[in-house]
Amino acid sequence: MSGFRRARKNKQLMAGAAVGAFVVLLGIFGPMIFGDYAAQDLFNGHKPVGTPGHFFGTDALGRDLAARATYGIRISLLVAIAVTALAVVFGTAIGMIAGYVKGTLDGFISFLIDFIWGFPLILVAVLAAASIGSGLLPVILAVAFVNTVAIARVVRGEVLAISEKDFVVAARAGGYSTLRIISRHIAPNVIPVALVLSSYYVAVAIIAEAALSFVGLGAQPPLPSLGQMVSDGRNYMRINVWESTIPGIIIFLMVLSVSLIGDGLRDLLDPRLRTAVERTSAK
Amino acid sequence: MTAILKRVALTLVLLFASSFAVFAAIRLSGGDVTAARLPASATAADRELFLQQVGLDQPIVRQYFTYLGNMFRGDLGNSLTNNASISALAVDKMRNSLILGAAALVLVFAIGIPLGLVAALRRNSWVDTGITSFSVAGMAIPNFWLALILIYIFAIQFQVLPAAGQGGWRYLVLPSVVLAAEGVALTVRMTRSAVLDTLGNDFVRTLRAAGLSNRRIYLKHVLRNSLLPIVSLAGLRVGQIVGYALVVEVIFGWPGVGQTLVNAVLRRDYPVVQFFALVLVVVVTLGNLAASIGYTLVNPRLRK
Repeated sequence: MSGFRRARKNKQLMAGAAVGAFVVLLGIFGPMIFGDYAAQDLFNGHKPVGTPGHFFGTDALGRDLAARATYGIRISLLVAIAVTALAVVFGTAIGMIAGYVKGTLDGFISFLIDFIWGFPLILVAVLAAASIGSGLLPVILAVAFVNTVAIARVVRGEVLAISEKDFVVAARAGGYSTLRIISRHIAPNVIPVALVLSSYYVAVAIIAEAALSFVGLGAQPPLPSLGQMVSDGRNYMRINVWESTIPGIIIFLMVLSVSLIGDGLRDLLDPRLRTAVERTSAK
Repeated sequence: MTAILKRVALTLVLLFASSFAVFAAIRLSGGDVTAARLPASATAADRELFLQQVGLDQPIVRQYFTYLGNMFRGDLGNSLTNNASISALAVDKMRNSLILGAAALVLVFAIGIPLGLVAALRRNSWVDTGITSFSVAGMAIPNFWLALILIYIFAIQFQVLPAAGQGGWRYLVLPSVVLAAEGVALTVRMTRSAVLDTLGNDFVRTLRAAGLSNRRIYLKHVLRNSLLPIVSLAGLRVGQIVGYALVVEVIFGWPGVGQTLVNAVLRRDYPVVQFFALVLVVVVTLGNLAASIGYTLVNPRLRK
């Protein structure tokens, strides 16, 4: 069966892709349809879902929740893409170098990896906020930093295992350069692993950004981050429970979609990865 | 044995390095301490004098060792916002966080293991589908939103549990459940796949052939073989719980290390940030050490 047909038969992957496509489309077209996310209307605050002109209702300042939530999706996606691109590129490169070169350099890199691994992600982000200030940049840097380490860790292990294999030993005996062995023989075997892992770390990035914005250390107002919207809405749960529920559901759907895609890809590409991923705590 | 000793030695080095990293990250931050502590009218000379008095004119490595020295004598410095002594604050906050974290850790295993076992034994039935979907949802739901849903149901609609604060055991229920949620989901998944792996072993068939009851085989032999690796990794769950505690304590107004740390960052109260960040890093590093020792102990192949 071709790869594409196998992918179509994978229920988790398809369900995840469907949910993900829905949220991404909302993020792309929502802000165009629902208008200005910052326009206030103090006489029409706390309107419920389904109010004419305000599809998801309004928040305490009368701002349109649909416009804010869909713009919030953009911010989440921006952070997730930036973080994951940085983490996959650097994580794979560092992991491959450490795993292939071995020796002192590997010892040093492994020590650094162990060292950074000791810090929980949220704590690193809080420390980053403490030293650079609150905002999206420290969130992106901190999460990318930790995810790079997470990916480097797994890639290094994979490379160590692969470089013992006969075809690599043969290539080395054949006198090929290190660069050629890494790029032609090792990278093609390691990159799928990094990609499957990265789908988990997309989820990590989305949740971390939301959580940090929730406590006030992430995106700063008036930018409508989903985490911050949940936090704003929590003070008015008795009046209008949708103000925190709508952004909450959107975060949930995004993370759910990415985890389903991750599980599906893992089964499709490499069932062996299961334990490696589960031992790596998410978030 | 040597592997464990090596690991302990490495952990000591890690603790040293990470405490210095936390110290340096906060010292090197852009914030001007004199602006926070002195009135705006202070002259450049006043600021110089102040820096000398508190030792901030020294090189950073020297400051670090002075800080460590003071710490071991029980002097942690004072808060910049209200000048309260940090040592007086610390014991209380650490105890509160310990209570919350321990409760969450117990829940993770007390709920996660039975659910995972049932899912594996009733594989592919509706029970399994239900439990597995529950765990997928449990990993996808952001814990701060789960907290709000639970507050809405139990504190606002039914008014059976308090929404926030600290007092008797009733105050502990919601925060510990939220803190445990992802760990439970993860433990369910791990237990399920570990039990399924164990069931495939020959010894299970032998035990069955020997006439042991299913109940005895599952509870005594299969569960024990599957759980060792999971429980031995409990230390890793500690790291996760510490990370989440930062957010969960803020939501539930739980006066612990996490809440204190986040508030201190928002107020740029650096001495407080420094100490409480250090506490969390030490706890996580020790948790990782426990996990790797636990894993070495149960996995003879790693023991060498």
